[in-house]
Amino acid sequence: MNRREFAKLMGVSAVALSGIPLGITRAAGQTKGGTLNTIIQPEPPILVTALNQQQPTLTLGGKIYESLLRYSPDLKPMPGIAQSWEVSPDGLTYTFKLFPGITFHDGKPLTSEDVAFSMTKMLPETHARARAIYSRIDKAETPDPLTVIFKMKAPFAPFLTALDCTTGPIVPKHIYDGSDFRKNPANAQAIGSGPFKLKEWVKGSHVHLVRHEGYYRKDEPYLDEVIYRIIPDAASRSLALEQGKIQLTQWNDIEFYDVVRLSKLPNYEMTTKGYEYFAPHQWLELNNRVKPMDDKRFRQAIAHALDLKSMAQRVYFGMPKIATGPVSSKTRFYEKDVKRYDYSLEKAKALLDEMGLKPGADGKRVTLKYLIPPYGEVYQRAGEFIRQTLGRVGIDIQLENTDVGGWADKFSNWDYEMTGNLVYQYGDPALGVSRTYISSNIKKGILFSNTAGYSNPEVDKLFDEAASATDDTRRQELYSKVQKILVEDVPVIWMFEAAYPTFIDKRLKNVTSTGVGVHESFSSVSFG
Amino acid sequence: MTSASINSGGRVFAVALALAGWFVKFVAVVLVIATFNFILVHAAPGDPAQVIAGQSGASDEKLLAQLRAEYGLDKPYPIQLANYLKRVVTLDLGYSYRQQRTVASLILERLPATLLLTATAFTLALLSGIILGTLAGVRAGKWSDTLLTIVSLLLYATPVFWLGLMLVLLFSVQLDWLPAFGYVTIGVPMTTLQRMGDIGMHLILPAVSLAAVYLAIYTRLMRSSVLDVTHQDFIKTAKAKGLKQGRIIIRHILRNAMLPIVTVAGMQAGALVGGAVVIETVFAWPGLGRLIYDALLQRDYPVLLGVFLVMSVIVIALNLLTDTIYRVIDPRVSVRAAS
Amino acid sequence: MSTLKSFLRHPTGMIGLFVLLAVVILAVSAPWLFPDDPWDMVGAPFQPPLSEGLWLGSDMLGRDVAAGIAHGARISLIIGVISTLTSLIIGVTIGATAGYFGGKVDEVMMRITELFQTIPGFILAILLVATLGPKISNVIFAIGIVSWPPLARLTRAEFMRLRGREFVQAAVCQGQRPLTVVLRRILPNAISPIIVTGSLAVASAILIESALSFMGLGDPNLMSWGFMIGAARTVIRQAWWMSVFPGLAILLTVLAINLVGEGLNDTLNPRISRKR
Repeated sequence: MNRREFAKLMGVSAVALSGIPLGITRAAGQTKGGTLNTIIQPEPPILVTALNQQQPTLTLGGKIYESLLRYSPDLKPMPGIAQSWEVSPDGLTYTFKLFPGITFHDGKPLTSEDVAFSMTKMLPETHARARAIYSRIDKAETPDPLTVIFKMKAPFAPFLTALDCTTGPIVPKHIYDGSDFRKNPANAQAIGSGPFKLKEWVKGSHVHLVRHEGYYRKDEPYLDEVIYRIIPDAASRSLALEQGKIQLTQWNDIEFYDVVRLSKLPNYEMTTKGYEYFAPHQWLELNNRVKPMDDKRFRQAIAHALDLKSMAQRVYFGMPKIATGPVSSKTRFYEKDVKRYDYSLEKAKALLDEMGLKPGADGKRVTLKYLIPPYGEVYQRAGEFIRQTLGRVGIDIQLENTDVGGWADKFSNWDYEMTGNLVYQYGDPALGVSRTYISSNIKKGILFSNTAGYSNPEVDKLFDEAASATDDTRRQELYSKVQKILVEDVPVIWMFEAAYPTFIDKRLKNVTSTGVGVHESFSSVSFG
Repeated sequence: MTSASINSGGRVFAVALALAGWFVKFVAVVLVIATFNFILVHAAPGDPAQVIAGQSGASDEKLLAQLRAEYGLDKPYPIQLANYLKRVVTLDLGYSYRQQRTVASLILERLPATLLLTATAFTLALLSGIILGTLAGVRAGKWSDTLLTIVSLLLYATPVFWLGLMLVLLFSVQLDWLPAFGYVTIGVPMTTLQRMGDIGMHLILPAVSLAAVYLAIYTRLMRSSVLDVTHQDFIKTAKAKGLKQGRIIIRHILRNAMLPIVTVAGMQAGALVGGAVVIETVFAWPGLGRLIYDALLQRDYPVLLGVFLVMSVIVIALNLLTDTIYRVIDPRVSVRAAS
Repeated sequence: MSTLKSFLRHPTGMIGLFVLLAVVILAVSAPWLFPDDPWDMVGAPFQPPLSEGLWLGSDMLGRDVAAGIAHGARISLIIGVISTLTSLIIGVTIGATAGYFGGKVDEVMMRITELFQTIPGFILAILLVATLGPKISNVIFAIGIVSWPPLARLTRAEFMRLRGREFVQAAVCQGQRPLTVVLRRILPNAISPIIVTGSLAVASAILIESALSFMGLGDPNLMSWGFMIGAARTVIRQAWWMSVFPGLAILLTVLAINLVGEGLNDTLNPRISRKR
């Protein structure tokens, strides 16, 4: 007896339990129609990506708000709402031509005015990461409704890599101009120009998106609806996948321990592609201000003592790739020829002995606190793993639990000894890597800044030069050099290039076709 | 005046008195819990404004300053407390910055699910407890009594969240009879009737898990209560008069034996509502318990405190309910009140 | 002596005592039975029970579930006992004050007690641990705060009963100070029902601790049964043993304590014991 039969036995109609009709109609080429059911968790506070950049907001908002460009898996720019673009030889002027006929969900046309407003007015005020990049724009010009020209203050090579939908979502000027952005009543409506518009958001249950009929790309979007279900419980999410109630999962919807088991499901394809643009880099953050972590040898000892291979297997079930240095191998300008720290308790102990950190009677050389990042069980397990392995060389770790606010508060105000950290690289070291190591970014109270407090004038100089250099060969040279220095100094212990399992219903096409993956607009996604 | 009218007048008076008493208790509890809340927020490490903001990277000075002004955090404590109580009395439970909504609206949205779960579990535990306890009491010493006693002993010692997990393991994972989580099947068009049935199916496991412990308590209580009553004179008289056993059980034993259970049920209401928090977490039941769990992970204090307050009010309401039941079934109350 | 004898003749009480003793022995001998740290990853992850060297299987990191249960017994018992002592101190103080002085004092004390009984205790415990931080001392404190009201009520009732007795009145007339009367005269005579209720409170303290740990509010450096079940919840489909065994451990311990408590009740206070 299964659930349907049992329901009948209980006198409950089984209609509710039968499969969800997809309503697909076959057309030439890609199939039109259908409802994509997927998951969002935790529930985003708001859907306006210009105002909130938490991962769930970005995943969902990517369907509602579009940006100038999209990116291929190897991070080459592709047309977004801009069909073409040009960069002047001096690297100071960027000219974008928009597709004709783009409309917002309220029917009003999207013009160059909206682009200029979003990127020079609204985003610099509401989006910290965008501010860092777009504040380099000296002025924006709009000679006609389909052309926007950005004049930069100084050359900034990564600009063309920073126009994706998570960094530069275009919002309607006619709604936001002159208003208090955060308190604008239209925020609840989330009006963008993306292929899907908000139909209904039942808090605690689901967000229902339907196709934007006025979408500018021919035939797109193929899907009729996308429903994001809010399922806070990990076991429930896995079950929903197994029972075929959803056709797509992303990020950490499916916990690592379930990946191996669920990968065997016949109807789904499991991939770790589609996160290239973000290339989340994961490390053990050491507060370089706290003794003995101010000593390079101590940090090197930890690098030797952490059995990353075993950790990748046990905690992350073989999903992630072991990181070799500050730059992810998926990001541009990665240097693989750097010093390697092999797993060796002997080398670790030798370094600690050399420092004069002798074990006490209880075998402990030093006791340090590890603040567990409050982002779920895997972080908890990672903390437990780190404690056990470092314990073997006499580094005693006390775990501390906290909440999201408390973690951010302690971490960003340097009131921590060790913690876990995971930082996106955004395709270019100037966008996502240098911020962790340059001394000008030692900013108290700011998360994902140089929280470790590492400072090396040479590193500062190299990163600075590389960001403004316009020639890629020269940039590679500078970045290779800085990577070698950083790996020798190990300001933080790089652990993994985080991998996230994306389960995709085999009927679905084009889900992870770009480097922005599941954050993408899904305009070209279809059932078959 | 006839004795009957005195009696009914007394009844009305007694009910009015009970309601007044209940109201005083209600106000007192609300005020004390609000004070409690106030102290808790201030006892939490860190700046109360930071704590209230409770969101990641809350280093936004603008928000903090705004909060300080809004909550009057620059004023002396007694004045702050008075202001807070004033807001609570006017049903202003504050604003969740994490969820960008008022706490009252968040709570109202989740309240129905929790009420459904707790009321179902409460009724289930009370009714089955009374029935099973009576059964055990009447058949004292027989194997069915022994079995019921053992089962209730076991249930009484079972952690409620673990029981929930085990039921999921059995009925959802192994047998696939009942949904393992959630409130209703989403995204399927359903008639009202189908929807009710669907919610009912989702309700079974959480309600049973939550009711189990109390079921055990009530069964044991009812059993000993029935035994007590059975040995009293009026039952012996009834038996001597040759009344049928079923009639004796229903008319005489049940009515009298139920009184202590109802009293205990009222006292246990708080624990039952607390248990709902764990059960809602296990079953992803979208009620106040889940809200509290999510708020807990985020240390969303306005929500935590608001839910705490509302749940206490639910407990008081359940107390009132049991008081009323007590009055209805206890023949002595009205007599005493009238005399 | 006769009490002991009659307890020894109490069948369910004795069963409970045996089980409880077994748990205590397990807790005490854990460092010898499982000399390794229970957090150590000793085997492959997700090994089912009866795998080599892992009687009860391993968890997702390859930690020994059996070692966790043995070491967890220490934590659970310690937390159960200490938090019960905390609630005893609060409950007996309040109950004794109310019962001894009576009148207005009693009125106030009982209102407070009633209030605490109305507040959903578990939610209060959650709030306390969340605000104060998930450390073992705070967990104990929170459990103590939410579980004293029954003890206070009981103590009050006992004190009211004894307050009017001749030997107490005599002591009062001799001019002994109230504290002396309470500690020397009344408390010794009221102690047995308090012990019984206290022993039952240990069981409920263990349950509350496990529920707190399950909700993620346990001390992250202590392996407790609730923590094990909490960690096992998400992997219930891969590894039933991770949640079943710690759950059984809690069930057995709580059951044993309840049985012993009831046995004590029947032998110490035949006056108020359940009629058979």
